[in-house]
Amino acid sequence: MKIAVAGKGGAGKTTVSGTVARALARAGHSVLALDADANPMLGVSLGVGPERTELLLGVRQGVEAGEIEHEPTVEGMVERFGADAPDGVRLVVANRIETENPGCQCCGVSPDQLLRELEDGGRTVICDLEAGLGTVLRLAPGNADVVLVVANPTAKALEVARRAVAIAADKTEVIVLANRVRDDADLDAIAAAIPDRELIVIPEDATIARADRDGLAPIDLDPYSPGVQALVALADRLAGAPVPA
Amino acid sequence: MVGKGGAGKSVISGTMARVLARDGSRVLALDSDLLPGLSLSLGAGPDPAQPPLREAAEKDEDGRWRLKKGIGPVRAVRRYATDAPDGIRLLSCGKTPREGLEPIMGSVNAFYRVVHRLEGARTFDDWALVGDLPAGPRQVAFGWAPYAETFVAVVQPTAQSALAARRVVRVARMREGARAVFVANRVTGPADVRHVEELVGESVLAAVPADEGVARAERLGIAPIDHAPGSPAVAEIERLVAALAGG
Repeated sequence: MKIAVAGKGGAGKTTVSGTVARALARAGHSVLALDADANPMLGVSLGVGPERTELLLGVRQGVEAGEIEHEPTVEGMVERFGADAPDGVRLVVANRIETENPGCQCCGVSPDQLLRELEDGGRTVICDLEAGLGTVLRLAPGNADVVLVVANPTAKALEVARRAVAIAADKTEVIVLANRVRDDADLDAIAAAIPDRELIVIPEDATIARADRDGLAPIDLDPYSPGVQALVALADRLAGAPVPA
Repeated sequence: MVGKGGAGKSVISGTMARVLARDGSRVLALDSDLLPGLSLSLGAGPDPAQPPLREAAEKDEDGRWRLKKGIGPVRAVRRYATDAPDGIRLLSCGKTPREGLEPIMGSVNAFYRVVHRLEGARTFDDWALVGDLPAGPRQVAFGWAPYAETFVAVVQPTAQSALAARRVVRVARMREGARAVFVANRVTGPADVRHVEELVGESVLAAVPADEGVARAERLGIAPIDHAPGSPAVAEIERLVAALAGG
């Protein structure tokens, strides 16, 4: 199964991606976490830590540095340039922008290409997309089995979420997450902007706020906090089928 | 204005622009994000009579985008920028439509070419230019803000926000003559400011407090300076404007 996570910057995409990845892995699934943001942060939410996240090599940069002749297959790239995260999650950073004039972003290895070419082969791929709508617009049917759209109760985040739902729903299954919900008024605001859809509620959670502050994985800080529990339940629902033996 | 998504770039740039305009500067606000943001924080409504910026661009015989003949930065701002409160002019690079990216390519290309010619236009010498860039280092790396003398990196007191700000400041400082500063946002006290300063490795130029008035404005989609004009956050952004003007 391939899961892509979309939404406005700061809506909680990376927290959702990292926590769902860890929960799936703890339930016995083989998980590949693909960081498709040119400002890669998924390592932090997976529990790798900010310092190690900063040292992770982007596949694109790895291939371009090219000490080996060429890594021809996506699986080879995952093997060669990926890193191990807790609970056996394999983390792959697609691309990072670290210099002026970093070269054409369409050429070379792109996040879209990695997502497209990764076979799931019994594995669950969860992809943290770049903030905004670019990758959702380029998503072709079949590139992801489900898109999780993360919505917050602010006017700007709702506008991005609303458009992401409209774009993605033409191509694949969409699940809307109402994130950082404090009360009924927050939920009503999200429901009004994105009507006629089931909303998975992720409550505002002090554990997640503390994990964000300190650069930790929420699931390591408190796996039983309400926000983390909502994401664990989401992971169970996404997994659906029983765990392969 | 640069930083991680959700850090508060639009709120701070929109409010800064309004403060500058009220202080008597002519202000050009530049929104280079394909997603909604700056117009809400500025308090600028849509103007249906406004011709779209994509009309400023055309493709040459090789299929490359260029500005149409006779359209320079001054005319582009006169014709395609919208009016925002306090006399501000707002030029936006175009908003992502549902149908795909192609319909806005003209607008995006016109915007890119206009911002590259602002510096050469004497008209704007005494204007204040405030640009709101999308999340992440992409536009800084690719030169979308060539007008910028100062990059302001907005940082919330979280590890990821600080990591994002450090990365984008590193890229910004590769540019000859560009200055980059950190501004803490949504801090709840001195401990948060220290946390941000430890995470980014230097002191911040300003620390905008977490503010219920601004949070409410964000939920409602209106300008913080209209909704909560006397709030501590707006006051700190006024101090930030003064600090930036002081060099």
